[in-house]
Amino acid sequence: MFKEFAKGLSITLKHLLPGHTTTVNYPKQKLEMAPRFRGLHRLVPGQDREKCVACYLCPTVCPAKCITVESEENEKGEKYPRVYEIDLLRCIFCGYCVEACPVEAIEMTSAYELANFKRDDFMFDKARLLKS
Amino acid sequence: MVNLTIDGKQITTAKTSTIYEAAKENGIYIPVLCYAKKLLPYGACRICLVEVEQMKGRLIPSCTTPVTEGMVVSTTSDEISKVRKTVLEFLLVNHVVDCPVCDKGGECDLQDLTYEYEVVTNRFQGEKFDLPTDEVNPLIERNMNRCVLCGKCVRVCDEVVGYGSYSFINRGFETKIATAFDRGLNCEFCGQCVSMCPVGAILPRPFKFKARPWQLKEVDSVCGYCGNGCTVTLGVKDNQVQTIRFNEDTGVNHGNLCVRGRFGYSYINDSRRIKKPLIRKNRELREVSWEEALTTISEKFQSAGKDLGIISGARLTNEEFLLLKRLGSTIGTQNLDHSGGECYKGATEGLVETLGVTASTGTFPQVETCQSILAIRSDFYETHPVFGMVINQAVRLNNAQLAVVADKRGKLSKLPNARTLLHKPGCELNVINALCHVVLAEGLANIDDLQGVAELTKALADYSPEAVAQAVGCDAEAIKKTARELAKAENAAIVVAYGLPYTAHSKEIATAAANLALLTGIAGRDGSGLYLCGEKANSQGAIDTGILPGPAGLGAQQMLSAAANGELPVLYLVGEDPVVTYPNRDLIEQALEKAFVVVQDLFLTETTKYADVVLPAASYAEKNGTFTNAERRIQRVRAGVKSPGEATTDFAIFQQLLGKLGKNAPADAASAFAELAVEVPSYVGIEFDKIGPQGQVWGGESLVPLKKQLIPVAGMEPLKADYQLLVGSALYHSGSISTRAKGPLSVCPEAYIEMSREDAATFDVKTDDIIKLTAGEKVIQAKVKVDNRLPRGVLFAPYHFAELELNKVYSGQAVIAVEPSKV
Repeated sequence: MFKEFAKGLSITLKHLLPGHTTTVNYPKQKLEMAPRFRGLHRLVPGQDREKCVACYLCPTVCPAKCITVESEENEKGEKYPRVYEIDLLRCIFCGYCVEACPVEAIEMTSAYELANFKRDDFMFDKARLLKS
Repeated sequence: MVNLTIDGKQITTAKTSTIYEAAKENGIYIPVLCYAKKLLPYGACRICLVEVEQMKGRLIPSCTTPVTEGMVVSTTSDEISKVRKTVLEFLLVNHVVDCPVCDKGGECDLQDLTYEYEVVTNRFQGEKFDLPTDEVNPLIERNMNRCVLCGKCVRVCDEVVGYGSYSFINRGFETKIATAFDRGLNCEFCGQCVSMCPVGAILPRPFKFKARPWQLKEVDSVCGYCGNGCTVTLGVKDNQVQTIRFNEDTGVNHGNLCVRGRFGYSYINDSRRIKKPLIRKNRELREVSWEEALTTISEKFQSAGKDLGIISGARLTNEEFLLLKRLGSTIGTQNLDHSGGECYKGATEGLVETLGVTASTGTFPQVETCQSILAIRSDFYETHPVFGMVINQAVRLNNAQLAVVADKRGKLSKLPNARTLLHKPGCELNVINALCHVVLAEGLANIDDLQGVAELTKALADYSPEAVAQAVGCDAEAIKKTARELAKAENAAIVVAYGLPYTAHSKEIATAAANLALLTGIAGRDGSGLYLCGEKANSQGAIDTGILPGPAGLGAQQMLSAAANGELPVLYLVGEDPVVTYPNRDLIEQALEKAFVVVQDLFLTETTKYADVVLPAASYAEKNGTFTNAERRIQRVRAGVKSPGEATTDFAIFQQLLGKLGKNAPADAASAFAELAVEVPSYVGIEFDKIGPQGQVWGGESLVPLKKQLIPVAGMEPLKADYQLLVGSALYHSGSISTRAKGPLSVCPEAYIEMSREDAATFDVKTDDIIKLTAGEKVIQAKVKVDNRLPRGVLFAPYHFAELELNKVYSGQAVIAVEPSKV
């Protein structure tokens, strides 16, 4: 029994040696996020406007009801989102909006440093989402 | 009856059914694209294919195949699914898949079927349609790239509306739906095609990109415009009526609506609505609190006592009428009347004297099976378009013979085989008398139980068809034919519309029409009917609930005269804009200037310029209660949105006023209706909560006349003037409220004076030129609309528009002699 105990402890000790730590020195050092990480949303810009066509599928599928869309007709007669807002305080980062989007206009970036001081700063409007 | 088996289920159904209808009745689902309940079977889409054992070897379209005895049908099999899927794949070859931006997305039949049959890939390839879209007209958006060629729009426009805007053009892959010469749409804009389109090819433009179907709350209510009483389903989002939804399962209109009902909803959420009570201080209307306004009013009312005049509109609910009546009796005034008193109360009086009833004797659906229909006044289609569609269906589906007694041609005259008895303006009575004369002279009448036959025969001696034809210019043979058809038909209908612009001899017309109905046996026979259709949503309700002057009270016209003479110090106008809509503007202005005027309305109307107190009221979309339509159908009105600002329903205003006067009022619409059901004899036994989606008709499908008294009425002398102006309704408008709704306004934006091509040539004017009409000292002017429906020398002007000031020259006469001149 002692033998097994020593064997186990040696594995633990090996991990204590330099070069074997998994913890990083955040915020000095930052990890690269996995490609499928679900961070802050981003609206994808198209050529002269956002890709979003205001189909209302994302606010419909959103379980947290954090997305507000108001559609309108632009001068070319196209449907576009006059208002596109995500309330990050409500968002649960499930990624359903990305899945529902028929035109791949919304994606989730690797940004996760979302802390802020004011409630209003958690409201991401269209301009902010396009830049993020 | 026929017995058959569908999917192993034994079914007994009518022998006129198709397989699809039999299946649907029994809850068996068969998918369809081109089938519609109210249209004839067509069989265009081939989605509804089923297998029939007796017809092995091919699949059978269930929507066009009649049932036969012993048929064994199966609606699902691998082969059926495969074929349906293939049909969908074919449709999707050319169909642009722009569901994300298509407003139909979410309620699209093609989308649903694609989902159901899991069409994720397409084995066929072809070019997507790239046709230009029609976005020029303001109400109906057509994107033929999304069309699946089901032909529903073509059929509904032809079979139901009778307009025929659409047709298929080209052949094969090029086939598409188009208008004549493939131009933009220019029609009645009733939007029936919008409601029928199973995909997003035809959409309501005012609703473009406004909301997704699943976001809308649907509220079943009744349209607040005309007396047809069409049920509408409000699509509500964010406390706004975003659109009128298609719903064919409620009411008598099978989802049919006119331009006003379908597109005239924007006034409900208009930002110009009055939001606070206003009191005139220093010649200006200032916003005040409800408390102040109500206190002022109740004091004024009480001090006026029996000299208070109350004139109500006919768009209040029955429950509101009850409270208004109670308010009148509490104050002690008998001067109570509604807009009908101004113009069409006579029509009811005529009916009471002849038949002893106060309403139409039949219901609208009965007209569909009539063999002969007589419409008095061509404007019938303009005032009651959806009833006009019923007449069209009777003509098209059942070969009914339609005759129109009219001084101008209209939509009804254009229906197949319609016979227009075109007479000189204002002489309807002569023609009706001539019809009665023929029925009597040829012994076609069953006169056994009629009173006054001898007097009528004597009085009608001068109205032989030949004499009338000579005097008022219609064809004697046509009169004879029409009379014979009406008398001999198994079921027949006489329809008359009445309203504010038809003030002249309304009692005589109702009496003459009742005479004819009695002589031909139409009155009181099941399936036949005499229809007197009120102009406003609750005209019939106003008569039923008794918004009429008491024995010593004054009618609307008398009240205004009395006020003009300074004898009536206080006037209470509820939902009426008499300055624009009532005849004789001078008198009304005088009356309103002299009296203390309280106006209760949605907007700052012309009348509120004379008001001392203005109370903000609510539209039909903000009310709970009931309307009674022109066929006596009591239907539920339901609130869909909240009133803007401090505006509130007329019901609540009356409640508070009654409270101020120390009286109790019913708490809500349901309890008010319970009281109505006690007070109004014809409403006895009707329960508010039991009024279903089809409404409840009081007096039964056929109202039995209480008496059968013939009363002779004298005809009219034709007016001897070179140019004669007729006043009436335009199809796109109803009353004056529709002139505040964007939909109707976008197709009929302003007042016009209609004239024939010959007259236009005489005066050298074209459409949109300005013409001036002089009648005595009064002058009106408006844009010209040149048309071919008017006879030479006859002009027509709609009464809805404030800026025309038509009632300067119109004071209730049937025809106005005018002198036109070009400006």
